[in-house]
Amino acid sequence: MSQKSIEKIIALSSDLRWQIGDDFHDNLAEGIYADASEIAKNSVISNNKKKRFRLDTKIDKIVTSKTWGFPIMFLILGVILWITIEGANYPSSMLANLLLNNFHPILKTLAASIGMPWWLDGFLIDGVYLAVAWVIAVMLPPMAIFFPLFTLLEDFGYLPRVAFNLDYLFKKSGAHGKQALTMSMGFGCNAAGVVATRIIDSPRERLIAIITNNFSLCNGRWPTQILIATIFIGAVVPASFSGIASLSAVIGIAILGIFFTFFVSWALSKTVLKGEVSTFNLELPPYRPPRFWKTVYTSLIDRTIIVLWRAIFFAAPAGAVIWLISNIYIGDLSIASWTINSLDGFGFLLGLNGVILLAYIVAIPANEIVIPTILMLTVMATGIAGGEGVGVMFELDSASETATILKAGGWTLLTAVNLMLFSLLHNPCSTTIYTIYKETKSVKWTVVASLLPVIMGFVITFLIAQIWRIVV
Amino acid sequence: MNTYNPVNALIIFVSISVLIYLIFRPAKGWFWLIKNSFIFNEKTAIEDILKQLYHFENSGKDANISSLTGVLKFKDSLVIEVVKLMTISKLIYFEGDVLKLTKSGRDYSLRIVRVHRLWEKYLAEKTGIDKLEWHDRAEFMEHKLSLEETNSLASQLGNPVYDPHGDPIPTNSGKIAKVKGVALSSLAVNSIGKITHIEDEPDIIYKQIIAENIHIGSQIRVVENNTKRIVFYSEGEEFKLAPIVAANLTVAILDPTVLDKEITLRLSSLQENETAKIVGISKESRGESRRRLLDLGFVKGTQISIDLMSPLRNPTAYLVKGTSIALRKDQASKILIKKD
Repeated sequence: MSQKSIEKIIALSSDLRWQIGDDFHDNLAEGIYADASEIAKNSVISNNKKKRFRLDTKIDKIVTSKTWGFPIMFLILGVILWITIEGANYPSSMLANLLLNNFHPILKTLAASIGMPWWLDGFLIDGVYLAVAWVIAVMLPPMAIFFPLFTLLEDFGYLPRVAFNLDYLFKKSGAHGKQALTMSMGFGCNAAGVVATRIIDSPRERLIAIITNNFSLCNGRWPTQILIATIFIGAVVPASFSGIASLSAVIGIAILGIFFTFFVSWALSKTVLKGEVSTFNLELPPYRPPRFWKTVYTSLIDRTIIVLWRAIFFAAPAGAVIWLISNIYIGDLSIASWTINSLDGFGFLLGLNGVILLAYIVAIPANEIVIPTILMLTVMATGIAGGEGVGVMFELDSASETATILKAGGWTLLTAVNLMLFSLLHNPCSTTIYTIYKETKSVKWTVVASLLPVIMGFVITFLIAQIWRIVV
Repeated sequence: MNTYNPVNALIIFVSISVLIYLIFRPAKGWFWLIKNSFIFNEKTAIEDILKQLYHFENSGKDANISSLTGVLKFKDSLVIEVVKLMTISKLIYFEGDVLKLTKSGRDYSLRIVRVHRLWEKYLAEKTGIDKLEWHDRAEFMEHKLSLEETNSLASQLGNPVYDPHGDPIPTNSGKIAKVKGVALSSLAVNSIGKITHIEDEPDIIYKQIIAENIHIGSQIRVVENNTKRIVFYSEGEEFKLAPIVAANLTVAILDPTVLDKEITLRLSSLQENETAKIVGISKESRGESRRRLLDLGFVKGTQISIDLMSPLRNPTAYLVKGTSIALRKDQASKILIKKD
C-alpha cells in the first residue's frame, strides 16, 4: 500500500471518529449489555415467583432494621470476643503450664547436664525459648477460637450485612463500609486485619483501612488490658463493683479504639489521602449454611501456621534481645538499666516510666511479652525480691502478687490508665508492620502506619499525665 | 526533674503544636509558602499567559497587560518581563495596548489546552480523583507532558472529543469541536434542553454547581427565569440557581416535539414499594465505577426495586436481576429510571 493511501485511511478514520461523537464507546458497551440481557431473558427460563427465599428476606429485614440492626451487630461481636477471651483462658494456661512451668525447667536441667556455659544457656533457653513459648501460649488459643468463629459468620453471609449497616458511618469519615469487617478482624489480629483489607477495591480506602487497623485492640493486647484493669481500676471502687469497673474500663479502651479508627480515617481522608473518591457497591449474597468442619479446619491450620511463623521469626529475636540487654554490662550497669534510666525522664512526662517504654521497644515483635518483660525489668530495676533471675521473663499466677511488684516499681493509678492507653495507641507489632509493607509495597505508608499511632499515644498520655497532675 | 511543673509542660506543648500548625497547615503554612515562592519557572509563566490569551480570544474579549495580571497568580513585574520575552520570540504581538496571539502562539496555546483537557479526561476516566480536584491537577500537568506523551495519552483514552466538563479537546492538528448550546441563564421559560457543558472556573461557582448535584448530559426544563433565580426540572428533581451560577452551565436546546413524554427519574428517588425500569446511567458516572455498575446488571430495560434500607437509610440495597446490590445515595442518583 502506498504512503498516500495509508494517510488517506488515517484521515478518514479520524474524521469518522468525530462524526460518531463521544458517546460511541458508552453506547456500544451499553448496547452489548442490553442485548445480552435480552437474549438471556428470552432463552433462560427462571421461576420468577421464588426469587429469594422467604427466610432470607425475613433475616435481612431484622438484621438491617433500624431498631435491631446495630444491637444485633454489637451483641454478636461481643459474644465472639467473650468466647475468645474466656475460652482461651484454659488452653492458654495449659500451654503456659506445659511450655513454661514444665518444659522450661527440663530444658534448663538438660543444659546443665551437658555442661552448657551459663551465657549460652541463658541466651537460648531464657531468652529465645521463653519468648517463643510465651507467644505461642498467649496467642495461639485466642487466634484458634476467634478466627474460626469469624470465618463461620462470613461463610453464613452475615458480614456483608455488617458492612451494609455501617457504611454510612464509614462514608462520613471518608472510608469504605467494608472497613467494618477489617476492623473487626483486627480485634483478632492486626496482621490478619491488614491482609483482609484486600476486599476493599479502591486503593485510597484500602490504605485508610490498613493504617487504622492498629486501633483495633488485638488478641495480644487484651490480656494486658484485662490484667492492668483488674489490678488498678478494679481497686479504686468497692470490691463488689470491681469486676464491673475493670470490665468497663477494658471495653471503654476498645470503644476508644473504634473512635480513633473513625477519627483517623476522617483526618487522613481530609489531608494526606485527599482526592481519590469513594466508590461503593456491595453484593448482599443469600444466606447459606456454613461448611462448619471445613471452615474450622482450614481456619485453625492457617492461624496456627501464622502464630508459629510469627513466634519463630519475630518473637525469638526479641527474646534474645531481652536477655542480652539485661546481661551485658557497660560499666557497672546493664544495657537495660542504662536505657531505663535514660528513658525515665521521658516516661515520667508521659505518666509512664522507663521500664514500660523499654518493654514496648523490645516487645515490638510481640505485644504478648510486654507484661512478662515489664515484670522482669521492674524486679531488676528496683532490686526487690522475686522473679526468675536477670533477663528471664516471668508472669505470676495471682494478680495480687503482680500488683505488689508493680507498686514496688512506683506504679500509680495514672501509670495504669496511661499504660492501657499506650497499649492501644502505639506502633503495630513487627508482624503487622511487615504485613503492611507486603500489602502496600510502600515504605512511606508503612512508616506512616507505624509512627502515627505511637505519636498519638505520646500526645494523649502526655496530656492526660499533665492534666492528672494538675487536677489530682 | 526539679524544674518540672505540669502547667509549664502543657504550655510548652501547646506552643510547639501551634508553631507546627503555622508552619505546616495546608496551603497557607509557612513551609508551603516558602517552598512555592522558589518554584517559579519561565516556561510555566509563558504557557499560562498563552492559555489566558487563548481564553480571552475565545470569549471575544480583548486582553491587555492589566487584564492579564488580574487573572494570573504571578507577580505583576514578572508578567511584564515574560510578556516582553514572548513578543521577542513572536508568540504574541501588540495591537495598540491589546495583546494578540500570533499563529505560532495560538498553536502553542492549543497544545496547552489540549493537555489540560486530556488530563481532566484521564482523571475522570482512569482514576477516582474527586472532580473538584481535576482542574488544579490539570493546571500542574499541562506544563509537564511532552508532545509524544500527550499523543499517547490521547490514544489511550480513545481520542476523546470532549473533556468531562463538556469542553472540546483540540486534536493533535489543532482542530477543535464546537460546544453546542447557550448559557442556561439565557433560556426562556418552558424551553427544554440538555446540559452540555459545566464550566469549572471560577472555583466558588463550580463548587456550588457540584453541591447542587447537577449532572452533565441530563435533560432539563426551565420553569422560571428572572433576575433573581432560575428554576428548572431535571431528572425529576427541582433545581434553583442564581443567574450568575446558571451562566456557567451550557445547554443545547432540544425540540420539544420529538421528546418522549415519560419522565426520567433518578434511582435515588425510588420508594420502598415501587418498581421501575432502568433507562441508563448518567454521564456523571465515569470510568471504573460506571463499568462496575454495568457489570452488576444496571443496564437499560432492567427491572429494579428496593430490597433493603440500611439502618441509617444510606446505602440502599436494590434488587437487580435477582441479586441484592447495595449502592450509596450519590451513586443511585446517577442511575436513571422510569417508574412502572
